[in-house]
Amino acid sequence: MFERRLYFHIDWLLLAAVLLLAALGLTMIYSTTYVTLPDGAGHPGARFWVQLYAVGLGVLALAIFLALDYRFMAEHSLVLYIGVVLLLLYVLVAGVKAGGSQRWISLGVFNLQPSEFGRLALALILAMYFGENRRGARNYGDLVIAGLFFVVPFLLIAKQPDLGTAVTLVPVCFGIAFLAGLRLRFIAIVAIAAVLLAPVAWKVALKDYQKSRITTFLDPEKDPRNAGYQQIQARITVGSGGLQGKGFMKGTQGQYKFLPVADNDFIFSVLAEEQGFIGVLVALGLYLFVILRSLEAARLAKDRIGAYLVGGIISGFAFQVIYNVTMSAGLAPVKGLTLPLMSYGGSSMIATLAAFGLILNVRMRRFTN
Amino acid sequence: MSSTPLMPDDRRSLTQRLTVMQYVVAVAFAALAIGFWIFQVAQHEKFREMAEENHLRKLPLPAPRGVLLDRDGRVLVDNQSSRNIALIREQTRNLDQTLHILAQATNTDEAQLHETVERRRRDPPYRPIVLIDNATQEQYIAVMARRLELPGIIPQEVPSRKYPGSQVAAHLFGYVGEIREDQLARAEYTGVEPGAVIGQAGIEYAYNKYLMGTDGSRTVVVNSVGREIGKELDPVLPREGRRIQLTIDADVQQATEDGFEATGFNGAAVVLDPRNGEVLAFTSRPAYDPNAFAVGIDRATWAELNTDDLHPLQNRALQGRYSPGSTFKMAVGLAGLEERVITPDFRVFCGGGQTFYGRFFKCWEKGGHGSIDLRHAIEQSCDVFFYTVGNMLGVDRIHKWATLFGLGVKSGIDLPNELQGLVPSEEWKAQNTKEKKWYAGETISVAIGQGQVSVTPVSLAVYTATLANGGTRVTPHLVKAMDDGNELKPVPPPPPQSKVEVTSEKLQAIRDGMWLVVNGDRGTARRAKIAGKDVCGKTGTAQVISNQGRTAARTTKNLRDHGWFTFFAPRDNPEIAGVVFLEHGIHSANAASVAKHVLETYFAKKDGNPLPPPPTREDMRLDLRDPFARGTGPEGNNN
Repeated sequence: MFERRLYFHIDWLLLAAVLLLAALGLTMIYSTTYVTLPDGAGHPGARFWVQLYAVGLGVLALAIFLALDYRFMAEHSLVLYIGVVLLLLYVLVAGVKAGGSQRWISLGVFNLQPSEFGRLALALILAMYFGENRRGARNYGDLVIAGLFFVVPFLLIAKQPDLGTAVTLVPVCFGIAFLAGLRLRFIAIVAIAAVLLAPVAWKVALKDYQKSRITTFLDPEKDPRNAGYQQIQARITVGSGGLQGKGFMKGTQGQYKFLPVADNDFIFSVLAEEQGFIGVLVALGLYLFVILRSLEAARLAKDRIGAYLVGGIISGFAFQVIYNVTMSAGLAPVKGLTLPLMSYGGSSMIATLAAFGLILNVRMRRFTN
Repeated sequence: MSSTPLMPDDRRSLTQRLTVMQYVVAVAFAALAIGFWIFQVAQHEKFREMAEENHLRKLPLPAPRGVLLDRDGRVLVDNQSSRNIALIREQTRNLDQTLHILAQATNTDEAQLHETVERRRRDPPYRPIVLIDNATQEQYIAVMARRLELPGIIPQEVPSRKYPGSQVAAHLFGYVGEIREDQLARAEYTGVEPGAVIGQAGIEYAYNKYLMGTDGSRTVVVNSVGREIGKELDPVLPREGRRIQLTIDADVQQATEDGFEATGFNGAAVVLDPRNGEVLAFTSRPAYDPNAFAVGIDRATWAELNTDDLHPLQNRALQGRYSPGSTFKMAVGLAGLEERVITPDFRVFCGGGQTFYGRFFKCWEKGGHGSIDLRHAIEQSCDVFFYTVGNMLGVDRIHKWATLFGLGVKSGIDLPNELQGLVPSEEWKAQNTKEKKWYAGETISVAIGQGQVSVTPVSLAVYTATLANGGTRVTPHLVKAMDDGNELKPVPPPPPQSKVEVTSEKLQAIRDGMWLVVNGDRGTARRAKIAGKDVCGKTGTAQVISNQGRTAARTTKNLRDHGWFTFFAPRDNPEIAGVVFLEHGIHSANAASVAKHVLETYFAKKDGNPLPPPPTREDMRLDLRDPFARGTGPEGNNN
């Protein structure tokens, strides 16, 4: 299956950039979770090792998702999709609870978060659906079917509740539909409907804590102790980093826990604090390179399935990166949305690296039949 | 594997849409970079400060106050380390419960703890609030044992004041205490933080600015819940207050205290160097223990000090106003000489009393002194002589000379809250009494230091020093040198309050009289004689109550006369002068006994001889016969 010549078509630059970002994330996790003992000695925190293992597993997943032909996987995407949906159902029934939500399946050694694989399954099945469909995404009936594929995992994830992860399914779906020729008129209609429906959603759909996150974002000083706290601290963290940063492990906001979930949602803030604006530019540059290079892979794709698959995956990725980075500077409402490749989180790391396996896969197989 | 290859049409549309996506992403990233640039570069300074405020806590390191030295450089007031128990509010979870447990563990008043916390409620929550000053070892152990139940309660080591024995120069040193709310508002205390310890009385108050020092600070790194993290930044070390070398001679001071101790009387004493006004010894009794204030006085002690009938907080040397009695006679004699009303050889016949303006004024010597001149009138304290001279002078000329020599005015000593005595004049009476008109008969009482005349012990000491030095009303002062950061630098003495030209032969007659008081055959203070030292002095008795009033009173214990002895030595080129005041000391000779011990100590030290041991009660040869005690009759007057 893996022909030797394919090896030469691997996009080594993209792979390097991806692994570099993962390494950057590991470095920041090392810094924020480092345990200093009273006698001055210390050791890396447990999370650093977990993340390191996750990167290892992720590289393995990447290799697998690279080795199998993406078309083969797309053909069996329904199986994958149903599998993920079943796992999400299982989570709702017997998942591990933590911090007020139920998102994980206990595997003994670690907990698996199936929602992180939801994007992958959705991208595959939608790429397959629109790719095999001559009409593309111009037909409203097809859009409804695509919408159904989207809505099932979305509701299951939102129910955990994990609105942040659920929302990342939207750009995946939208990205594929857009590339598949979604009419601009339709986009306009959806946009107008969204504006009109927003107040209704505010009243009906959002939970109180979600509402408070949004109101707090608009006026963080109103509630500086609770919901606004993270946002204010995020800005202080980023701003205090300055041009050159405070130095590796020398941050104060992240190190002294003024910034909550520093190794997770706010890892980019810690990077900004310790490595400064220069570090921020390097990281942003790497992300931008990864995204543009991936879009290039979509352009080069041999078939529509490949192009849509890459487009969907990278749309979700780009959305998540942009949103998280914006949030890490205190410029967006705080949401439980991690920064792919850098934030602490094993499932996310594995799923993300697997996704890049698929992207590399599409590019690598651009000449094969 | 089946798949739908891309048709050229598809590819064009796809490429267009991918380009759109690329632009969107590029724009978003550019916006992010700009956003980060604004925060991290443009507004960096603001956020840097906010981050520092977040994790750096500045805690004061209290500076020790300046050490007080005596004139020989011996330490009089020092600092010691004391332990207190403080509260850091931000580390407590349940304040009420914490205070409750603390009160139980340390056996303190829970309500008072609450009050203390309430008073400091506006302080930043990380600044320690001292709850128990000078914690005992038991309290410390009790707190440490229950440490887990007492989050936010910490023991602290702080410098506190250490004064010599409770009975040495307490009023001179004064005491320190936490700055009061009304003081915080005053200009002189700008920059002083709430909770700071400042001088509240005596030298501690008067020289607080120099003694206080500059607090340092300790900057600690705290995490988001306010817990200190091991790291500590370089502290700003506290700068100790400036050392001050006092003019006090510890030996003379101790001798003064010992003298009082031996008599068992209360009172006051001020000993000066008449040449420049340096205060060698200064006491007021009864005293309080300044150490009790040094670490925060408890309510009970404070209440006790304030309600004590003997008023231990009153500085009698500066604030006690008593009639000077016969010590006033030198002023009258000098006025007579200087106003050319009499000559040193002027004689008066004393037959035990004389009638002026229709009223008979007794001499204390019932048998009379016979024909007596100025020198012997001073020696034997003849009342009739001074009645006569006073009558010839009139009150205003007495007022003039008494004032020039420092009576009835403030001495200008560098201690707070000095009160002014009174030497009456016609003008004074016109302005301050209903009667307005001065009667010549009133002058007769004034001439022997009775009537409205009142003096403070310190002003009487200045008066004696002025007699001793020939007319320079020196300003008594306590500071000889001050630390300028490297070494003790002499502080120039304050200029004299006034200076009057007196004819030396005339003044010599007065001094001769004072010499006779101690060295003459019939002197009233012969017990103060020290061979070879030519001690000069004058006794005086201050009536507490008129003879008529005394007869009417039910008890005589608190009505016993006060005893004065003012002195200087040696007669020629005097170098020590002073006053001893014994409250209800009955006889002025008792005061002379105290003075003698002071002088003996002074001269022994000067001559390099061993200092005399503290006197016993027997050494004092106290005369405790109260001539006015019930049953012994109302006769007699001052001597």
